[in-house]
Amino acid sequence: MNPKALSRHNLFPARRLNAAPRHQPLLCTHCATEVAGTEKSSHAPDEPAFCCLGCRTVYSLLNSSGLERYYALRSQTGSFSGSKPVTVSSETYRYLDDTEFKKKYAREDATSMDFYLEGVHCAACLWLVEKLPTLVAEVEAATLDIGRSIAKIRIKPNCTFAPVARTLEGLGYKPHAIEHNEQAELLQKKENRSWLIRIGVAGACAGNVMLLAVPLYSGLDGQLAADFRWLSLFLFLPVLFYSAVPFYKSAWASLHSKTMSIDLPIVLAIILGSGASIAHLLSGTDHVYFDSLAALVFLLLSSRFVLRRIQQNAFHSSHLLQFLSPSVAKRVDASSGEIMEVPVNTLKIGNVIAVEPAEALPADGIVQDGSSAINCALLTGESVPNAVGAGDAVFSGTVNEASTLHIKVTALGAQTRLGQILLQIESGSLKKAQIVTLADKTTKWFLAAVFIAAAAVIFLAPSLSEGFTRALAMVIVTCPCALALATPLAMSASLGRAARAGILIKGADVLEKISQAENIVLDKTGTLTVGQFEVLDFSQVQPLENFKETLCAIESKSKHPIAKAIVAFLKPQLEAELPAVTGFKELLGTGVEGTAHGRKLTLQPLREFRGTAVGIYWDEALAGEVHLGDRLRPDTAQCIEALKRFGLNPYIVSGDNHGAVENAAAQIGIPLSQTMACTDPESKQRFIEAHERSIMVGDGANDALALSTAFVGVAVHGSMEVSLRAADVYLTRPGLRPVVELIRIGRETMHTIHRNFAFSLLYNLAGGMAAATGHVTPLFAALLMPLSAFTVFGSSLIGTRRRQT
Amino acid sequence: MNIIVVLLPLALLLALIFVVAFIWAAGRGQYDDLETPAHKMLLDDSIGMERNRK
Repeated sequence: MNPKALSRHNLFPARRLNAAPRHQPLLCTHCATEVAGTEKSSHAPDEPAFCCLGCRTVYSLLNSSGLERYYALRSQTGSFSGSKPVTVSSETYRYLDDTEFKKKYAREDATSMDFYLEGVHCAACLWLVEKLPTLVAEVEAATLDIGRSIAKIRIKPNCTFAPVARTLEGLGYKPHAIEHNEQAELLQKKENRSWLIRIGVAGACAGNVMLLAVPLYSGLDGQLAADFRWLSLFLFLPVLFYSAVPFYKSAWASLHSKTMSIDLPIVLAIILGSGASIAHLLSGTDHVYFDSLAALVFLLLSSRFVLRRIQQNAFHSSHLLQFLSPSVAKRVDASSGEIMEVPVNTLKIGNVIAVEPAEALPADGIVQDGSSAINCALLTGESVPNAVGAGDAVFSGTVNEASTLHIKVTALGAQTRLGQILLQIESGSLKKAQIVTLADKTTKWFLAAVFIAAAAVIFLAPSLSEGFTRALAMVIVTCPCALALATPLAMSASLGRAARAGILIKGADVLEKISQAENIVLDKTGTLTVGQFEVLDFSQVQPLENFKETLCAIESKSKHPIAKAIVAFLKPQLEAELPAVTGFKELLGTGVEGTAHGRKLTLQPLREFRGTAVGIYWDEALAGEVHLGDRLRPDTAQCIEALKRFGLNPYIVSGDNHGAVENAAAQIGIPLSQTMACTDPESKQRFIEAHERSIMVGDGANDALALSTAFVGVAVHGSMEVSLRAADVYLTRPGLRPVVELIRIGRETMHTIHRNFAFSLLYNLAGGMAAATGHVTPLFAALLMPLSAFTVFGSSLIGTRRRQT
Repeated sequence: MNIIVVLLPLALLLALIFVVAFIWAAGRGQYDDLETPAHKMLLDDSIGMERNRK
């Protein structure tokens, strides 16, 4: 810590945290995580505290480069609620400057690249990232899109990206280079802009037409009135021929595919309305509806645009999460034995790669060197890690748990087991169950009702010409403005609300499907449970001295997953150094034995008791027992209860063994008849097909097929890339709580939509009655339309307001 | 009432100017990112201050 930093530190509000009384947790100055362990004991009271070396480094880096304002800004904006401690990996990012890599990822001039930054959370981050040029000499300019966490970084000519990426990681923003499809991006941007312009034009025209309509409704007549009507026609033309074009297109498309869409009656009303108004204008009567029609187009365009933006954001976010899977492999050079970081897509079959503990395997292969435990939870759903040694086959998408492995690559990309599943999903993605949305159904009935009523009015009116006028007025006045607004308004409010709760929904009809679902099929490993193999229960039968130390010392010699879990459990409880172990032996496939503290212990698996259990024997007598397994998330049982209350039938379908599944089911109150164990991806999919209207909740690659065929597929936090792609909903927060929230939001959205429909039908009934009896004037239409629109708007707002409390 | 003959075209001209300005702004992508600028506004003067100091 340099002295400058210390003296400045007094200015920071962060100090308040550190000056707090002893009994309050000591918080890290950088990330606001509680400081514990050796960092806490060595901390001097008037110095800033840090939870780890990473955070300390960032703090001193910022101070020494004059960027310490970061902390002040962070507390000013008030949006900071703590971040993750900074961890610096050994990644060198040298692959970023690989020519092949740049060709794919950099923009055409090779000096600019887009990165998805993990951990961007507030305005202070924005400030810091955009200050990058003062921190790294190589950077020419950096801009951050905080909504999407994407930084665009341009470097000076003849400079490299690697130091920039390392600095970003050092600041706590782990960068992931983004491959961008420039054409698709550009197209989307262009479309969004043209929507905006359409809305702008419609808004300006509608406003001015309405302004002109005010004197007409207040009784203006004579030459000036005729002029005003003509003027409003000219102001209406841009709306008719430019702004309303998207409605014509989609109505035409739905006519073409012979499906019903809400756009049909809208277009009908626009065309009939403007046709009739122009005819009336030419014949000199005062029935012109330009103001109502322009306002209609403006309101509808705006509501659609909002929905569109929200959906695009959700899609973007879930798309970006795919970059969190490993894109870098450590290749071991065949001749020199040197380890080099290379992008995964440049690996070749036959290459040897090194995979360190806690890293995911980038390819399928055969272990050449080393022994370790492999966690297959995400690939197969097994909760017990597999022990692997030289000659064993390992698969891409699994995680190395224990020690470094050297693996000879046998399959890459689409040839891997993971790749195969991905291919199946992409080819099977069209099988998704489609629903006829409530809006479409209502439109059908609505349209039929209006036409029948209009026909009746023509024949029942006093004269045929009067009948036509009234029927026309009826079609215009019952134009489903509120009906068309009902769905997008309620949906966009709910999608926005869901996104804030960490639920990313890829399509608007998902909310409607959720409210129709009857079953909920849950994956076990990683969804109901934490997905980590650990010690659940430890009991000592005989009172032996230094029992834990002895056991821990012996088990730390083994690389078996059970031993790893026991050591991880016991180590933090011990204070003394571990004793030396003699006579350590792995008993082939059954357990271990060893001597420490002069006592020989033998560990052997106990008879399966709903999961995995190990007995510790001393002198042939049982001295202790350890039960291991995958711990249920604390809120799982509660959430299952909540799901049942929603009327959903819960099922567990897992790739794990019978014991583990039965154990989990018993704990959360799901009958055994509703569980299925030892499933492969295909049988999960068949299960889903056999149970219609099922929400599938899962995380692993083995769930991906089921997710893609399910009525609604929900990928939980920490899911694999394939599952993300297959699912309709992605949860960014762990546990089942967001699933319950999702279903609640789905149900409430449909309530809101039903209420909106009721309101708009009521208005239309009133309007239709008035038209049938010949009481509809342009003023009546001009009042009815915004009134109904605002009722629906208010109803949607209330629908979401209640949800927020 | 004759003044309306002047005022009305004037009002419409004003509206036209704003519409053209809006089209120009939207076309140049000023509304592409609606979130970041809102944050940036809060930081702007601090960045400016530091630039002056250097």
